[in-house]
Amino acid sequence: MLQSLAGSSCVRLVEQHRSAWCFALLVLGYLLYLVFGAVVFSSVELPYEDLLRQELGKLKQRFLEEHACLSEQQLEQFLMRVLEASNYGVSVLSNASANWNWDFTSSLFFASTVLSTTGYGHTVPLSDGGKAFCIIYSVIGIPFTLLFLTAVVQRIIVYVTRRPVLYFHIRWGFSKQVVAVIHAVTLGFITVSCFFLIPAAIFSVLEDDWNFLESFYFCFISLSTIGLGDYVPGEGYNQKFRELYKIGITCYLLLGLIAMLVVLETFCELHELKKFRKLFYVKKDKEEDQVHIMEHDQLSFSSISDQAASMKDDQKANEPFVTSQSPTSNDSSLNN
Amino acid sequence: KAMCSGKLQTGLLVAGYFVYLLVGAAVFQALERTAEKQEKMAAAQMKEAFLQNFTCLTVVEMEQFMKNLTEAIQNGVYPVGNKSQTEDSNWDFSNSFFFAGTVVSTIGYGTLRPKTAGGQIFCVFFALFGIPLNIVFLHRVGKMLSLLCKKLGKFLYEKGMRKKKIKFLTLLFFLATGILVFLCLPPLFFQITEGWSYSEGIYFAFITLSTIGFGDYVVGKQPDRNYFSYYRTLVAIWILFGLAWIALLFNL
Repeated sequence: MLQSLAGSSCVRLVEQHRSAWCFALLVLGYLLYLVFGAVVFSSVELPYEDLLRQELGKLKQRFLEEHACLSEQQLEQFLMRVLEASNYGVSVLSNASANWNWDFTSSLFFASTVLSTTGYGHTVPLSDGGKAFCIIYSVIGIPFTLLFLTAVVQRIIVYVTRRPVLYFHIRWGFSKQVVAVIHAVTLGFITVSCFFLIPAAIFSVLEDDWNFLESFYFCFISLSTIGLGDYVPGEGYNQKFRELYKIGITCYLLLGLIAMLVVLETFCELHELKKFRKLFYVKKDKEEDQVHIMEHDQLSFSSISDQAASMKDDQKANEPFVTSQSPTSNDSSLNN
Repeated sequence: KAMCSGKLQTGLLVAGYFVYLLVGAAVFQALERTAEKQEKMAAAQMKEAFLQNFTCLTVVEMEQFMKNLTEAIQNGVYPVGNKSQTEDSNWDFSNSFFFAGTVVSTIGYGTLRPKTAGGQIFCVFFALFGIPLNIVFLHRVGKMLSLLCKKLGKFLYEKGMRKKKIKFLTLLFFLATGILVFLCLPPLFFQITEGWSYSEGIYFAFITLSTIGFGDYVVGKQPDRNYFSYYRTLVAIWILFGLAWIALLFNL
């Protein structure tokens, strides 16, 4: 879902106001929102987790007392309970009792995985209140995340892509297309090594039983927001500096997501790719210039009413990447 | 002539998408099935040994047993139930297909996980190409849904309403019908087929359609229930249209 970033209205906001204060406020608001979610999750879920642990402890006691003449039925019942607990991320082993799933940093990690729609599932809200809050939190938080990411990515793109490309185009004299392609590929390589290869190496060292492939697999599954949850860092027994580690991972995932989107936008702005995409998105033939100019104001809102007014079919009403083209058409019309 | 080529493009895209999913499902099945069989045999053996020795169990032995149990569970093998259940593979074709769908839509429940190195590498590449494909596909499906909105807009305009009002009403209509069809009605259906409460159904619907996908509730996974055939296919269609609706909503 996050890949089909829209937020055309917030691109407008950024373009129109361009004030650093608005942007700073947005970033601050977003971080505060995450912290708020972490606090609420922690306070709602920790008591329930405590209860579940105590219950399991008692169950174990009884098992120990009754192990003579144990019937299969009883064993099955016990195993079912163990299974249920395991599905909720609670282990029955004594040396794992140090890991809490809902302390503050873990809740922060959980909140960030919910808002990025990754959703590992190693920790899930146990109580009804937690589940209800999760829904409400996401309904507000996911559009918020989209807004946030769009704004951040639009800002970064200017410094990382547009200015360097322009600079090299002017300085070296190559055509813009060539510079853009070289830049995009280079950026892709840098991002892959900084956000996949290096973190994978770090994780394979920090986590006991992860090899490099598994760490890379984790990085990919997380940054693509699939989030299967088979590998979650910081869940090993007696993990040192667990709180710091969890915070570090949260930051990594957020930055990684932003980096992925920046690279995606960069590639989407490539001229060749635009032509290739038109194969899939544009049905009717229109001249190139008209397409660019029209796309600047392209909200489906206005397009729906325009269609109603003109009684023609609009061919690009719901283009996901239309936001990336509108600033480009501005720049290209200024520079060309 | 333009319409014909447009239809052909759409048809090819849809066909290409399904072929991609089928290929993914087949490859996953091929890579994961044998490893899973071995895990299941090991888990069954462990349980047998435990049952034979359950008199005079020490704490150490039990801890060891529990540790093995937890590892087995984390590998997706549940050491409960009788023999017939252990013969149903987690990685048969329909389950692998469902897994491929969850990867490509980035829902990622995680109830099914590739364990072999080959499966994991393939998963990475499968997602790398599958996710953009999925986006393009959903875009097209979303356009089908938006045609309804356009028709409503045209109808209202002919009645003489102002543009702003049309905008507002079409958005409201879109939002309301979407919430009804994709979030409010399916939990009723799940109450019957899965035995979840209505609020659990809503929770599941929301977590799935937002692509968060925890995996604590998944359709068709309860061992003691009989599901009619094509149940999961029906659910998959619901997920597909729901995702397209949400993507369209964000583009509005």
